[in-house]
Amino acid sequence: MGYLNNQIITVDAILTKKGREALAKNDGSFRITQFSLSDDEIDYTLFNPNNPSGSAYYGQAIEGMPLLEAFPDETQIMKYLLTTLPRGTAKMPIINIGYTNIVLKQGASLSITPQTLNYLGGSQTYETSGYNFTIGDVRTMSTFNGVGINTNTSTALNSTTTLGTNVSKTVIGTTLNMTGTTINTLFGNQTQLQTVLIVQGRDSGARVTIPITITKIS
Amino acid sequence: MSYKSLDPQDFLVSADTITAPCWSTLTNPETSLYTSSVQVAGTSGNYYLNVYNNDPSTNSSSEIQFNISYGNAFGSGSLLYDPGINGLSPTRTVYGQWRNLIYGDENTQFSFSTVSPTQQDFYAISIDRARFKESLLPGSLTLLLYSASKQITLTDDSLTSTTVSYCDAGRVFNIISGSNGIATATNTLGAINTGMTVSGSYGLFLPDIGTIILNASALDLVHASGGISLNTQRSSNTNNANPIRLYSTASGRIGLTTGSYTSSFSLNSQETITSDFVFCRARNAEFNYTENPSFISGSTGAVLYDLFVNSPTTYITTVGLYNDSNELLAVAKLSKPLKKDFTKEALVRVKLDF
Repeated sequence: MGYLNNQIITVDAILTKKGREALAKNDGSFRITQFSLSDDEIDYTLFNPNNPSGSAYYGQAIEGMPLLEAFPDETQIMKYLLTTLPRGTAKMPIINIGYTNIVLKQGASLSITPQTLNYLGGSQTYETSGYNFTIGDVRTMSTFNGVGINTNTSTALNSTTTLGTNVSKTVIGTTLNMTGTTINTLFGNQTQLQTVLIVQGRDSGARVTIPITITKIS
Repeated sequence: MSYKSLDPQDFLVSADTITAPCWSTLTNPETSLYTSSVQVAGTSGNYYLNVYNNDPSTNSSSEIQFNISYGNAFGSGSLLYDPGINGLSPTRTVYGQWRNLIYGDENTQFSFSTVSPTQQDFYAISIDRARFKESLLPGSLTLLLYSASKQITLTDDSLTSTTVSYCDAGRVFNIISGSNGIATATNTLGAINTGMTVSGSYGLFLPDIGTIILNASALDLVHASGGISLNTQRSSNTNNANPIRLYSTASGRIGLTTGSYTSSFSLNSQETITSDFVFCRARNAEFNYTENPSFISGSTGAVLYDLFVNSPTTYITTVGLYNDSNELLAVAKLSKPLKKDFTKEALVRVKLDF
């Protein structure tokens, strides 16, 4: 009989840009209440269910791999969340927003209402808790609001704060309303601004990332 | 579901005390000390003497370890600000500065143990803030002072005193003959107590403001009486440069020296690090599927292998901590992927330092 390994894994956390912003705002938003796990960096095609040495070796190419240090940009980490689904799930939930990329003119508006495919065995298209919409650079939008979920949290997130720095903004809703910025100085000498929109199902954990381009009109 | 709420029991706030040698080298004792002729010649040289870990004239990375100042109640030992106003000089300013910090009273005289010396003067060794961090560690002081072929070793009495005394500068301990907080029983003429002199204790150890006050009268005594014959100069309207006298004219030694002694100054800093621990628990039925695109085959969302339908396997690499708004506040990476399936549970302790 051998000893069981009962070690707790201890890891040091770093604050994200959003975390530092929340800490600096000192408005109670830096309050950790939930966690999530992700498998960023893992390529499951390395998993080999046909390994002749047996099931203990299926994950051989993954289990010893070295991992990168954490990135402080909250839009570049925790991309692929682990989810809790019933055993026997054959198809993973997928988010469809109807676009593979978005191009907005300055001041132009767009509404997005995502759907989740394969969710709850395909019996439901929209997630009850709504979606998280995250824009990579909040300065590129003059309006970025989530509607359809009426909770205190979702209402508070829709409030506009003037920020002079490149930080993300997350809102909650079933539909996203956004308008490209009208501020010319952000463009500098360029004719367009680029950022990303991340849509994530709050129930399913499914996520899709869409590039957004804002084009200058004057 | 991808987010799991944390219970109040999942949080732990821990305060750990970290101690380390005060010096830039993080080693005790500090044996390599230098001063700057430029600083001595400057205005600040009238008040204090900076002591460095390297020669600042040749090494740009040298750092101040501590400084030495001399205070005198009558302004003796330095030039008067105005020759027409007796008693007001840098040494008088230094005396008032420390008296205000330590006693908070302009009428109180410095006393060392039970003795208030007639000569109201002292040397103050003030440790650089970056060196002592939060406070000095009582019981860690060992300071060698030399006198010709004789030496004395000084420490604080924090390990032997049964009560802790407080002044306006926080905790205060007596400096006595000994090392590492333990008094040395010596045959000192007229000593008022073990490890002390006829002039009282050797000084005051003030850990909360990172300062050591040395009793000039005790150091001026001959070696048989417990001193090092420091011969502090108390001339009126004269720059006696007493801090340099304590430091020594020979490089790298504290105290008068004519021999080949190596200086020795041991002292530890103390700092409290507050950490938040968050315990993240993944139960056997949780977090066994992933939205990782390589876990999915094609555009239909079907899992990559048939094996994953009933026996999915995921690998945890990152833990994210969120607020109620699902904003990612902190992240922690594991050193290697942690396998998770329906037969395994995981407990990850995430540490956040402030």
